[in-house]
Amino acid sequence: MAGSLTTTAQHEPAAGAGRLTHAALSAAGVVVRRILLLAVLLAVVFAAVELLPGDAANATSERGESAADLAERRHLLGLDRPVLERFWDWMTGLPTGDLGTSARGESVADLLSRPFPNTLLLGGLALLLTLVASVALGCWAAAKPGGPLDRAVSASATGILALPEFVVAVALVLVFALWTDWLPAVTLTDADGSPASWEMLVLPVLALAIPQIGWNTRIVRAALADEAKAPHIETAVLDGLPRGRILTHHLLPGALPTITAGLATSTGMLLGGAVVVETIFNYPGIGSVLAGAVADRDSPVIAGVVAVTGVVITGVLLLADLVRAWASGGRA
Amino acid sequence: MNVNRRQVLWAGGGIGAAVLLAACGGGDETSSDSPAKANEKPRRGGTLRVGALGRASAITRDPHGTQANESDYLIISLVHDTLTVPGTKPNTVPRLAASWKASDDLKTWTFTLAKGAKFHDGTPVTAEDVVWSLKRLRNTPSGASRLPGIKPENIKAEGDDTVVLVSDYANAELPQLTRLTTFVLKKDTAEKDLGKAPGTGPFKLDWFRSGNARLVRNEDWYGGEVYLDAIEVKIFESPQAMANALLAGQIDVASNVGAVAARTAEKRGDIQIVRRPNDMAMPIVMRTTDGPFADAKVREALRLAVDREAMVKQVLSGYGTVANDILGTGDPAYAKDIPQRKRDLAKAKQLLKEADFDLSKTYKLLTTEDIPGLAEAATLFASQVREAGVKVEVVKQESATFWEKTWLKGDLYTTYWGTNDSVVFFASKTLVSDSGQNEAGWKNAEFDAAYKKAMATKDAAARAKILRELQQIEYDASGYLLWGMADGIDLAGAAVRNLPTLPGYGRVQLETAWLAR
Repeated sequence: MAGSLTTTAQHEPAAGAGRLTHAALSAAGVVVRRILLLAVLLAVVFAAVELLPGDAANATSERGESAADLAERRHLLGLDRPVLERFWDWMTGLPTGDLGTSARGESVADLLSRPFPNTLLLGGLALLLTLVASVALGCWAAAKPGGPLDRAVSASATGILALPEFVVAVALVLVFALWTDWLPAVTLTDADGSPASWEMLVLPVLALAIPQIGWNTRIVRAALADEAKAPHIETAVLDGLPRGRILTHHLLPGALPTITAGLATSTGMLLGGAVVVETIFNYPGIGSVLAGAVADRDSPVIAGVVAVTGVVITGVLLLADLVRAWASGGRA
Repeated sequence: MNVNRRQVLWAGGGIGAAVLLAACGGGDETSSDSPAKANEKPRRGGTLRVGALGRASAITRDPHGTQANESDYLIISLVHDTLTVPGTKPNTVPRLAASWKASDDLKTWTFTLAKGAKFHDGTPVTAEDVVWSLKRLRNTPSGASRLPGIKPENIKAEGDDTVVLVSDYANAELPQLTRLTTFVLKKDTAEKDLGKAPGTGPFKLDWFRSGNARLVRNEDWYGGEVYLDAIEVKIFESPQAMANALLAGQIDVASNVGAVAARTAEKRGDIQIVRRPNDMAMPIVMRTTDGPFADAKVREALRLAVDREAMVKQVLSGYGTVANDILGTGDPAYAKDIPQRKRDLAKAKQLLKEADFDLSKTYKLLTTEDIPGLAEAATLFASQVREAGVKVEVVKQESATFWEKTWLKGDLYTTYWGTNDSVVFFASKTLVSDSGQNEAGWKNAEFDAAYKKAMATKDAAARAKILRELQQIEYDASGYLLWGMADGIDLAGAAVRNLPTLPGYGRVQLETAWLAR
């Protein structure tokens, strides 16, 4: 099915009104391929958990349970069935929204129902902040290439992107929570499972976004520099167009595909970084669910987390592809 | 990969924060004494915010399930009552069971329920409810290890307020088994209602969400006056985040937060450090059946080669006590009069020589990073016994690998136990020849006989005497090297009063706590 769609897409004339249809069709092809990829990834998750030493029955038992007790627990959890069968059962439940049951008997969909939106909120805010800050800083630096400001921004961006999230996070907690008492040190949740106040989001969002801002600022800066070498920009400069207009109407649109690709990459990094940042700030997201589930060898929970994050990353990458296709349409 | 990253994070983040805080702590060297005064009158009211460790993926609401999360266990034990609870002296005290007595053969135990005990919905607790709950517990996969020797059909109600348990064998300490997990629910509570089923405990569940909960006072509790209006339980995945929350004033109690946090808090005058002695045993296990440590002289030599004071000071940051190779240090029956084993390198070398121990070989000591200090203890031990000429290489194993491949099988490994208030507990679980978790593969007929005799002795004084003999044998010959006991450490804000100081699960008894504000 993926094959037929892409083939159709390739035969579509890539001009005029056909451009949109082309984009939509290739997008459909991409979606199908990514869904298949996700399914493969989930199979890998099940296989990988299988390869780890110990199993969920072991991990959730109490010390001193006899071999017979363990066998009973294994049977209760269905671990005595072949991994393929368990994987198939789990996959066939997916379309109905059934993510299975954790090794401790809780519904995985319930386990993720509050943490997942919380992580999306955290990641979304961090991505937004990354976008705004990196474009602003990149443009600012590119305004006078080689000037002191450019060098300062580029150097600090490099420095920042080399900082791991946990270093940033620990430093933020020390300075803004424990020394100055301006912001809460950790996130506490209220009765509906979401952060009890907006202030609790500030430090986790910063901790996640800062390294990504460093990375993306460099990308924006480099993309703008590349674009500035293009003949039409030189013409625009020689024509005496105002610098601001050249930036917003010529440079940025030209650099957009690269910038989008950079941000799309950051989505994966943000969700990965969330595991670390959520732990430090006790943020009630899926990062902590995932970390615990791996320790418990709890395949349905791990696969559930991978599935929902996989869908989000796929969606963002697709969006990025569309933006790039649209922005570079005429030239690519 | 995630697990590795998390471990790095814990280590890095923890050390980073501790060093920085220590650096900015200034000259205030006085550790914070408890501001609580003995003559203060308890005040009624207030909400206590308690942080407890737990992972969102491991949440369990079933009172008879395996609660890996301290947060879950805390919530369950405040809402539901067990028949008995841990105490100091004696170490088993009444709760839902007001009293108990044994038959002469110590096999049949009769528990009488507390007068006026009611569920949160107002219905009185009956023996039928208790029997249903105990049977449900016994029929879980962990049931056989939680109520050893008691078959489900031997749990019976007699009238409205009496429950009879019949053990397969004489068991003088049977009430101890009913302390930690015998949570009582209403008969025929449906599986899907377990999370919100009414309990009989000092607090009622207001709400539960993703591991966090709010509990409100049970005005009708039969167990005495409860001072706090409410307790809010907050789940924390990392002790570091929990300590930060306490230091920033977001919570009032950080339960079981550990020695690293205590060291940080020492610099602050407004934080109470609650030490609960005898909380965690981290013994080194030497295999007795075969292998290089099968000779009792070799084991004795290693026990003499270890520098216990240094271990407590360095591994536990001083938050602990030196131990004497006998497990169950918190027990009133613990033999304090057996002389403390001290470091004696000359004698250790002598014993190794007598045993013809091969000093040219390097021996592997297997350990994990399951709990703080465990791997550090192994490393320090290795460097200490080197001074007696024994070469030990520490090998850290991933937790699951360790429990599957090394535990109960290895020649030399570290283990840990969080339940330390009873000599009999360890005797039955890890020391008797046929015990299920005989970690050192120890078989000692004399010890087995002493254990059987103690369990069949009704007279308390006579039993204490036999338990003393039992501990002497353990001290002389077992496969354990118990160098020290780690304190359990809670941190609390200045206004918190009357927190429990019992080791292990005793930390959840918050019904007597109150707030001076």
